[in-house]
Amino acid sequence: MSPTTWGWLVLLFPLLGTITIGLGFRTYSRAAGVIGTAAIGLAFVCAVGALIALLGRAGTHREVVSSLWSYDVSAGVDARLQILVDPISVFMMLVVTGVSTLIHLYSTAYMRSDEGYSRYFAYLNYFVLSMLILVLGGNFVMLIIGWAFVGAASYLLISFWYRRTTATGAGIKAFVINVLGDVGLVLGTFFIFRHTHTVSFLGSFAATPHVFHTDSTDLVAGCLLFLVGAFAKSAQVPLHTWLPDAMEGPTPVSSLIHAATMVTAGVYLIVRLHPLFQLAPTAGEVGAIIGCLTLLIAGTIALVVTDIKRVIAYSTMSQIGYMIMGASAGAYSAALFHLMTHAFFKALLFMAAGSIIGAMAGNQSLDRMSGFRRAMPFTFGCFLVGGLALSGIPPFSGWLSKDAIIAYVNNRGGIYEVLGILGYLGALLTGLYTFRMIFRAFFGEPSPEARELEHGHIAHAEVPTNPATGEEEDMEVGFPGPEHVIAEREPAMKIAMGLLALLAIVGGFIQLPGVSHVITTFLGSSLADAPLASAAHEPSNGTAWIGLIIGAVIGLVGITLAYSVYVRRPGTAARFQAALPWLHRFLVNKWYFDELIDVLVVRPALAIGRFVETVLERIVIAGGVTGGVTAAVRSGSAAVRRAQTGVLRLYAAAVILGLSAVVLYFLISST
Amino acid sequence: MHLAHPSSAPFTLSILIWLPLALALIVNALPARAVGRAAAVASLLPVAVAVTFVVDFNSHFPGLQFVTDQVWIGALGIHYKLGINGLNLALVLLTTVLFTVSLAWSAMREVDRPHTYYFWFGLAESAVLGAFLAQDLMLFVAFFDLMLIPFYFLVGSWGTGERVRATIKMVIYTMVGSFLMLAAAVATGVIASGDHGTALNFTFSALQHLPLSRTDENWIFLAFALAFLVKMPITPFHGWLADAYKSMPIPAVAVFSGVVAKVASYGFLQIVLPLFPHAAHHFQVLMLIIALVSIMWGTAMAFTTGDARLVIAYSSVAQMGFILLGIFSLTPQGGQGALLQMLNHGVVTAASFFVVAALAARAGGSERLEDMGGIAFRAPVLATLFLIVTLANLAMPGSSNFIGEFMILLGTFDSHIAIALIASVAVVGASFYALRLFIRAMHNRVGGRVVSLEISRAEAVAIVPLCLIILALAFFPQFGLSKSEGSMRLSTYAAAQPGGNASPSLPSAQSAELTGWWAYPPLRQLAYSPQKPRRVYTYRTTSTHRTLHS
Repeated sequence: MSPTTWGWLVLLFPLLGTITIGLGFRTYSRAAGVIGTAAIGLAFVCAVGALIALLGRAGTHREVVSSLWSYDVSAGVDARLQILVDPISVFMMLVVTGVSTLIHLYSTAYMRSDEGYSRYFAYLNYFVLSMLILVLGGNFVMLIIGWAFVGAASYLLISFWYRRTTATGAGIKAFVINVLGDVGLVLGTFFIFRHTHTVSFLGSFAATPHVFHTDSTDLVAGCLLFLVGAFAKSAQVPLHTWLPDAMEGPTPVSSLIHAATMVTAGVYLIVRLHPLFQLAPTAGEVGAIIGCLTLLIAGTIALVVTDIKRVIAYSTMSQIGYMIMGASAGAYSAALFHLMTHAFFKALLFMAAGSIIGAMAGNQSLDRMSGFRRAMPFTFGCFLVGGLALSGIPPFSGWLSKDAIIAYVNNRGGIYEVLGILGYLGALLTGLYTFRMIFRAFFGEPSPEARELEHGHIAHAEVPTNPATGEEEDMEVGFPGPEHVIAEREPAMKIAMGLLALLAIVGGFIQLPGVSHVITTFLGSSLADAPLASAAHEPSNGTAWIGLIIGAVIGLVGITLAYSVYVRRPGTAARFQAALPWLHRFLVNKWYFDELIDVLVVRPALAIGRFVETVLERIVIAGGVTGGVTAAVRSGSAAVRRAQTGVLRLYAAAVILGLSAVVLYFLISST
Repeated sequence: MHLAHPSSAPFTLSILIWLPLALALIVNALPARAVGRAAAVASLLPVAVAVTFVVDFNSHFPGLQFVTDQVWIGALGIHYKLGINGLNLALVLLTTVLFTVSLAWSAMREVDRPHTYYFWFGLAESAVLGAFLAQDLMLFVAFFDLMLIPFYFLVGSWGTGERVRATIKMVIYTMVGSFLMLAAAVATGVIASGDHGTALNFTFSALQHLPLSRTDENWIFLAFALAFLVKMPITPFHGWLADAYKSMPIPAVAVFSGVVAKVASYGFLQIVLPLFPHAAHHFQVLMLIIALVSIMWGTAMAFTTGDARLVIAYSSVAQMGFILLGIFSLTPQGGQGALLQMLNHGVVTAASFFVVAALAARAGGSERLEDMGGIAFRAPVLATLFLIVTLANLAMPGSSNFIGEFMILLGTFDSHIAIALIASVAVVGASFYALRLFIRAMHNRVGGRVVSLEISRAEAVAIVPLCLIILALAFFPQFGLSKSEGSMRLSTYAAAQPGGNASPSLPSAQSAELTGWWAYPPLRQLAYSPQKPRRVYTYRTTSTHRTLHS
């Protein structure tokens, strides 16, 4: 079969899964999970099929396009329902479907006691479908559709427990910020379409060198607008505020959003549109600087957050910052490589966090967790593997991929060298906050929940409450369910986490400087025409290895720091807090970004709304326009009414006057 | 001169127009109990007739098809001329469908004085169809004003709340616009015949070739524009909207906002742009700014209002602003987007009003947002349908509404980039107010008076078909685009010329390779199709057709 046939099949199975589960939600109980997992699993098989079919073609013929029907073909626009299968999209398909299958598998156990079990799997399938449309779309319109579907799916899943006002608030926040990103994408498309007169990717890319020169105004404007889309979806500063709030969703959903789908879309976008970004180095610099800023800001916030899921969320922001920085600088294959390894270890970290939250009876606060090492050996092992990979410790996968990005950025020189050095600072923060989390949750004196678990009982909350507000849960629907699950007792969770742990350890070896180049070779044909991806810009093997060694040392320094602060001298953190209260406040309040956006955007928008409603609408429209018109009509009719006196002489006079006026008019006009 | 098309439908357009009224009269003979069901079932007949016209329509032919042309008032040169082209085809189908759905909704409920109620509905459908199909200026004005009468009675007699005030407001607003339009319509015909020394004729096709002087064109344009802007409605002429929409019975407001308002925006495309191209070009920026104000105004109001029905009403103001924006971008993209958006908005807004009625039924009859909440709990199907409507209403990519807005903004972007950039901010606002309505009604804690029930058959009968149409259009928005391409180029061509070039001249028979309509400059592009020869029909012959490039 041709690669595109496989591509359509990859889309078909999640679509069928969504529809089947959605239509039969009343009849399934456990079957929804099986159907959902099988649908994504089959999509993964088809993605592998697409890979094999693509590898069977010569290196220069690996961009295959296929359309179903005309979608918006009119007045010069040529959008068809079209997919593009090339190494980049196949790579993304494999990562998305592969990791998503494991997350589905994990969910079958994790969500077992939830009232909305079928609804959950319908949404989850839809989420994966959206992400697959995004990566497979063959033109800008399809890309935007996938882009918005991902936003809608994330909204549905973030506010999955919809009785919680915190969840619905987080959902609408995520959705609105993502729509802002959609608008960026649409306007960016307009800027490109204005010159290329096509919305198809291949057509645009072919035309780009002919219609734009380096840093053309419209091209830079278009690329910056694409970056707005990328920042919104990938949670880059200042459009990141939805991501930590998105932790309101069930834990496997966080895992899906952060690892396989959604936040990686921005990175994919830049890599997909690299022929445009190649010619817009100014936009590339903006992207790299924002990525670098994000990775530092997120790293500092992660140091003080006490909600275990939010710490991981900020670490995602930070890691995506690396990818955005790399992709903007031109390190396309390194960015996608890090995207893949990050998907493995971040999914793993969230699953392990879900397991420990289960043991804590739904509580997510690091202040309450302690000493789970002995009670949950499997979870601990997985968390440790994920943490080491995240911190970039050899030989774990994150080490190879993150340092590949930093090495490339350093190698480009100029402003990028500064960004690379800041990237190392971020690596230090990563080691520190990751092991702060691990040391606090798994080391030290066992907490009551951990002790109970050591005796074989999982803790249960007397009254389930919303961890964010302490509000009592609605028991009938819209809360995580009365039963708590941990990985130690659930084979499905164990399999998913075990496989991911394995991948987090060995997944990096497919791309080892001087030894193997699987990813660079595979993506090579797509990136062949990109000067920034050429061998001249790639760091040499020697430089790459020096970068790897520096990265490893910095990661170890971060872990050592965490060890000395949280294990050797446990009071140190509190002393720091007391010494620098303003800094602590600043970080706990997340650099006041939420407040800033509230003051700059939300309040003015609502104020304008109220102003229009209370002042303009009442006074201008109801008073002025409507009142004026009504008054005019009324006084006009009153005047006419007064004329109806019933006096015949007056009527006769009016008739004569009128007639003579008409006669006069014709006399004058005829001369 | 007949621009008839060789392929013909088994019915004339007159049958389509008067069928609803005739059926309403027939079912009036039935006992009160059966009137509603009979009217609903009978209204499927106009749908079927409209479908046959859609099927028989030749999308490659840009001119009028299925023409009926008879002299109505000979002395005044008024014709009873009807016809379909790409501009009104989809809207005619939409009209019949929305009326059927609204009648079905009514039939499942108890209605006071059903005989008169269903009679007014029948008259309303005939009037709307007439306004869409009329190809003579005076005939159009007649149907346009006829539309007001049934709604006057529907609000006045079956409305709720402050219905008398609402009726008066609506009637005064509309009448002011209508009188101006009547005067302008008379003036158009009289001045045109006077300037060119021809016999009085009000058909669009004749007037198109009798250009007016610039000054005359300008004031006539303003009169027409005012009438249409009031009817759409567009800020600042929407003063009647809140009261009228609030007091209308739900089925009436669904068709009013769904299709009656569309007659006005359609009027811009079918009448104003081809007949007054220079004035349209002259006032383009003014109209774009009015559209922009309307978008922002509607969005801001929908942001804050606490009434579910008014959220939809004001979102309509914003949407109509987008449609006006597309029309006055004076580009084929913008026009196509506007036309598609009329279709989309008609379906979505009607569905929204039905959903609001379903919500109110569960919130103790209140349409206030603070009385709602948590309805999704026992009503997952209703919640899903509402979600589909919501996402389409906020024009999420993947819905047909998105393609409409995409084309509108693209056209505006080409003509006035700054206005397109500002308008796109409102897209973000739309996502907020639409989701706010959904969340406040469906999610969060259960409201005090809420009784959550699954969607009933009486509600599903209207909401489900509309949702299916929304889904179908989402997969195939091309349905609304492919048939109107040629007509749209004809409509926007003259107005789009900078400096208002001469109105499109009649196609010349001398043109070497292209004959008939395809000699028109705006259509030449379309006619050249290097891949395959296209079968086209010449406008002169009624019985033969030729093949290009053969």
